[in-house]
Amino acid sequence: MELIQQALPEFLVGARNTIIYCVSAFPLALLLGLILALMSSSRIIWLRGPARIYIEIIRSTPFIVQLFILYYAVGAILLTVNLELLDNAWTAGIAILAINYSAYEAEVFRAGFLSVDRGQTEAALSLGLTSFQNFFRIVLPQAIPLMIPPFVNDFIYMLKDSAIVSVIAGTELTSVLNTWVTHHGSNPIPLYALAIVLYLLLSLPTSYAARYFERRARAAL
Amino acid sequence: MSFVEPSVERRSLRRFKQSSVGEPGTSVWHIVSNGLFYVVVLVAVGAFVYYLYTFQRDHGYLTLYLPVLLDGTRVTFIVSILSIVLATIFGFIGVLGRLSHFAPIRWLATVYVEVVRGTPILVQLLLWYYGVGYVLSTIGFDPYSAVFQIATALQSNSLVPDQFNAYFYGIIGLSFNYGAYLTEVFRTGIESVSKGQTEAALSLGLNSRQTMRHIILPQAFRITIPPFTNYFMTLVQDSALLSVLAVIELEHQTYALAFTQTDANIKMFVFVLGAMLYLAICYPLSLLARSLETRLARAY
Repeated sequence: MELIQQALPEFLVGARNTIIYCVSAFPLALLLGLILALMSSSRIIWLRGPARIYIEIIRSTPFIVQLFILYYAVGAILLTVNLELLDNAWTAGIAILAINYSAYEAEVFRAGFLSVDRGQTEAALSLGLTSFQNFFRIVLPQAIPLMIPPFVNDFIYMLKDSAIVSVIAGTELTSVLNTWVTHHGSNPIPLYALAIVLYLLLSLPTSYAARYFERRARAAL
Repeated sequence: MSFVEPSVERRSLRRFKQSSVGEPGTSVWHIVSNGLFYVVVLVAVGAFVYYLYTFQRDHGYLTLYLPVLLDGTRVTFIVSILSIVLATIFGFIGVLGRLSHFAPIRWLATVYVEVVRGTPILVQLLLWYYGVGYVLSTIGFDPYSAVFQIATALQSNSLVPDQFNAYFYGIIGLSFNYGAYLTEVFRTGIESVSKGQTEAALSLGLNSRQTMRHIILPQAFRITIPPFTNYFMTLVQDSALLSVLAVIELEHQTYALAFTQTDANIKMFVFVLGAMLYLAICYPLSLLARSLETRLARAY
């Protein structure tokens, strides 16, 4: 109990940093994912091809390998051109979270667009809307309610995957946990319990929010 | 009577035709553009192979590092197979619990699923290895020495790796985590079988066990296969996390090789090689998942 009291402030800072990682990486992932989704549903192969290749490669390599490539390999290359300032745990962590998740979000976006009935697009175009208007006025508003639940789910995954960033960073919850465990190796279970409770405090409310949105989206259909 | 101006109508009709009839690859420009794209991709792949070849030509790095990495790939493969088998068992136990009529067992299964899905797999792995492993070792249980003694009795203790405890707890942690996800996959599979099927089977005189075995499970199985394959793929990727427990698998080998390099290009080369090997394992699995998805979608 004493140990938990001592550890709590640092663990809370770690939890805060975990949230910062996710809150800054997720919008970037959404933006990148939207661009990728639009590219991959384009008819022009110069847009579709690169997007598909990017998505497939990102989805079939482990997150931790991508993290190491970005941090150590790209970092080493940045060092040779004197840009090593750009390479720290924060930027690498946020960048790789955004890059990795953009591939998954792209698939969510694409599935969302496909789930809007094609007749809607046909009706809009035959009423004289441009394809730009059709996308932003007709397709997107109908697709967004369907996409919110998977987005919230992915956000929860990101909360948990940001733990992997701990292998390069000394800032977020899991790395704080690691330092404390190495210093108090004789009694590690309370520390793990504390970390697990903090992670549950972060993810369970979000998961309930996801379920709530899912119910609402289903009711709206 | 039309509200739309004739010119607008014509224009939108043209656009409509373009959007619905103009499938990719019908016009000459499309064919030329597609062909050009494939040429560029081919050139890029060629350039990539040449990039690998230059390292081989200049320093012989490919023949130096590839066997080591393939060694790691073998371990990754074995760990993944063992984990998915164990995870399936955990998943079955979990789904039996979740569908149990006895409330405390159902609560226990729900807590298992919610806690495991709500915490990072990395934390769970660390907990299994440093936490549970430590507690069990204080009460005198050490998987390494236990297996070592059994293997000695069988005169094959050289087969037991030094890192056996890390493998042991790593595989348990990985499959315990995926067991929770598979529990949900199995549950949705079983629940998605229409209730009318059960009712029909029961009223035809089958008992509940026969209903489960002959009616529900075969139908649930088909629904479960695609997400199961997807999870297998992510499990192969997550097995890379075992590197933090010092399990010598592909990611650990890649990192150990790359970290000693001072030259940035060689560092990059080793990481790219490691990533390629993961791609070689995971991409076929992803293709399999997708083909199963389309085939099973057609079956209905």
